[in-house]
Amino acid sequence: MANHSSSTHSKFLQHHFVDAEQQFDSAKMGMWVFLVTEILFFGGLFAAYIVYRLWYPELFTLASEELNTLWGGVNTVVLIGSSLTVAMAIKSAQLNQKKNIAINLGITLALAAVFMVIKYFEWTHKFHLGIFPGEFYAFEGIDHPKANVFFSLYYLMTGLHGIHVVIGIGLMIWLLLRSMKGHFDSEYYTPVEITGLYWHLVDIIWIFLFPLFYLID
Amino acid sequence: MATAESNLEKFQVQRFEPEADPEKHYLNEETGLWAWLTTVDHKKIGLMYLASITFFFFVGGIMALLVRTELWTPAKTFIEANTYNQLFTLHGAIMVFLFLVPSVPAALGNFFLPIQLGAKDVAFPRLNLLSYYLYLAGAFIAIISIVNGGIDTGWTFYTPYSSTTGGAVTTMVFGVFVIGFSSILTGVNFITTIHKMRAPGLTWDKLSLFSWSLYATSIIQIMATPVLAITLALVGMERLLGIGIFDPALGGDPVLFQHFFWFYSHPAVYIMIVPGFGIVSEVITTFSRKHIFGYWAIALSSLAIAFIGFLVWGHHMFVSGQASLASMVFSFLTFLVGIPTGIKMFNWTATLYKGSIDLKSPLLYIFGFFFLFLVGGFTGIVLGSIGLNVHLHDTYYVVAHFHFVMVGGMVMAFLAGVHYWWPKMTGRMYNETMAKIACGIIFIGFNATFLPQFVMGSLGMPRRYFNYIEQFQPFHQASTIGSYILGFGFVMIFYYLVKSIYTGKKAPVNPWGSRALEWQVNSLPPLHNFNYTPVIINGPYDYHKPMDEFQLGLAETGHGEEAETTDEIEAKAE
Amino acid sequence: MSGHHISSDKTLLGVAGALFILTVLTVGVHYVHIPDPWSIIVAMGIAIFKATLVALFFMNLYWDDRFNLMLFLASIAFFILLVGLTLLDTLFRTDVVPGF
Repeated sequence: MANHSSSTHSKFLQHHFVDAEQQFDSAKMGMWVFLVTEILFFGGLFAAYIVYRLWYPELFTLASEELNTLWGGVNTVVLIGSSLTVAMAIKSAQLNQKKNIAINLGITLALAAVFMVIKYFEWTHKFHLGIFPGEFYAFEGIDHPKANVFFSLYYLMTGLHGIHVVIGIGLMIWLLLRSMKGHFDSEYYTPVEITGLYWHLVDIIWIFLFPLFYLID
Repeated sequence: MATAESNLEKFQVQRFEPEADPEKHYLNEETGLWAWLTTVDHKKIGLMYLASITFFFFVGGIMALLVRTELWTPAKTFIEANTYNQLFTLHGAIMVFLFLVPSVPAALGNFFLPIQLGAKDVAFPRLNLLSYYLYLAGAFIAIISIVNGGIDTGWTFYTPYSSTTGGAVTTMVFGVFVIGFSSILTGVNFITTIHKMRAPGLTWDKLSLFSWSLYATSIIQIMATPVLAITLALVGMERLLGIGIFDPALGGDPVLFQHFFWFYSHPAVYIMIVPGFGIVSEVITTFSRKHIFGYWAIALSSLAIAFIGFLVWGHHMFVSGQASLASMVFSFLTFLVGIPTGIKMFNWTATLYKGSIDLKSPLLYIFGFFFLFLVGGFTGIVLGSIGLNVHLHDTYYVVAHFHFVMVGGMVMAFLAGVHYWWPKMTGRMYNETMAKIACGIIFIGFNATFLPQFVMGSLGMPRRYFNYIEQFQPFHQASTIGSYILGFGFVMIFYYLVKSIYTGKKAPVNPWGSRALEWQVNSLPPLHNFNYTPVIINGPYDYHKPMDEFQLGLAETGHGEEAETTDEIEAKAE
Repeated sequence: MSGHHISSDKTLLGVAGALFILTVLTVGVHYVHIPDPWSIIVAMGIAIFKATLVALFFMNLYWDDRFNLMLFLASIAFFILLVGLTLLDTLFRTDVVPGF
């Protein structure tokens, strides 16, 4: 805890912290604890996936053929790219390059938007074929009585991930506005750092969703 | 002045006398309704939680009394079967999600955790306020569901019934989902607070056992609650979209729901009881004037209970159709919970041994806790064995076991905590005689209510039934009479505690002579808890050391801009 | 233990490059169609490796307070508990989905 008296009196220091270092460490740790809850939140769905996959392995290989591996791959690349730019934004903040923070956050936002647009086309294409979740499932192409369960899982997991991307987009817009006001510098960049952590976790989850749904046929 | 030795150096610290009835305290700074509603002060948020959970406790309690009244006769007494189903569902859901889960952590924990850590507030005060409003929002949504058709699934929301029945299950499930978020955020906040906000000198081995128990609770909250959230979201989706993951009619598996549900809900009973254990440790040392026996054993057994709690959920599912292999494993693992719990009981009784026992009302409640929790715990072992469980499953035996642990254990500990900390929270003393009488009434009423249920259960009376055969009537009537006595006891506590706020005698700073940090601050505490940054040299249970070595501070300190840095304090200490 | 580790451009770009290559690799392996148990093992192996890279270098766990790493691992451990104990039931039932 010692050796940081120089950074003590930032204007963003809250009253109950002793110094900026304690505030930064707390915020970061709080975010990590929150990410733990996120992992277990998704964990419930992953567990359901594993259970059904072990019960009906043939269903998963059959149904996965309806998913477009190419677009899934493109989305993976897009998200990894956005993770990189977030990391660059944090680095720019640490080096006090205020302009680069905004640029990197802007690119991240654009990539996140690209991800959602691709997702939108994937989903609407399936709706067009009659592939709806659960009891609304109306597609004839898969010869398996439980095909609806597979697509329920698909929609739930990519949907929940998509909601997280949308929340991330909201956070990025907020960060972008603040960075343009010049709030962040090497002394204070906590929001960028912890939003970055969140964004990387969203990326990690997609890294698992991609092979689990697109690469098993 | 006191001298303390760190590894190498000696330094001097000054003791500041805490003030009783100070001019400025947390209640008279920042007054007004708006200031209360937007406060980020953990103490005020704790009080708001306390008021809310008390309200919901009485709402849930009235529902319990209605259920018990209906059971006075074997057939219909005064309400319809359908209403009866809704009443016991709401009694369970309200008591579990709106009272038991937030009771100790969110109300008493919020108030005392930062003070016990020597911090000015929790790590994320605004998040703390958000948790409170999420709790209120969830409660509000749950109430809407009552008006909007009610629910009759039982508090467990088992599929496929919950995904096909009418009523407002979707709304209710959404309400619980929101409350779950409140619980998660409290857990996030507490873990970070305990790690990052401790005062200088407050090492892990000087952490109060109440804080340790809240730490263990928070771990369960962050690990288990998200799974409940996603499960309830899935039930909601099941009703809205028919996703078929849990509904057998659509190709799903209802037993999978039970796995997910109990992955949260079994650890959740430890969310409810473990903070109670923390209170027991605090009260028992204070009133026996003795260092806690087996500090580390008690601290670590809380963590052990938290962990083992995740391994045993399948014992709720012995008759659900789960594989017999799973049943055997879960049954075996269930017995393990008895070990850390037993460790705690032995250490507590050892703390009392040769102590200078002062039988004030908080300790009396703890003695009630010992007896009732022991019965609850042992019947839990009975229920954990597969063969017996098949016979006793879904009977009143389970109901009685659960209430012995939750009401006899948790509520008794909660009441002990409320009595113990009441002088610090309100600055007033309650009527000690009334408190002792109320404790006796509750103990008698409780046993009258739930002991007959053990007998009924082992004779085969199933839970949640509207009608029953006539042989059970005497037991049911004894139970109903007991529930009235119990209810009277709670009303009595409410009466004299509220009365004490207006007419009670002003509380001294440390009425029990405790060594814990929260008793070394002003009564009422200042807005930011400490007028002087405390330096902790002794542990909270060091009764062998003289009083003048406690609550040590280095220098006057302000907030924010004027606050001293750790460096400055360290510089002075050297 | 520094919460303020500054990564060099080389590290960040190197990690991102590795992640891109691994993505291409996993898609490539997918089109080769290796026999059944191995295809999922390879795909998941690559995914775990990618996730580790992100966690260690983008999320700074490699340089950060060890407790944060522990939290991350603990969440995975509890997820494994959830899955593992559930599978004890679902894999050993006589009826996959009990009839109603």
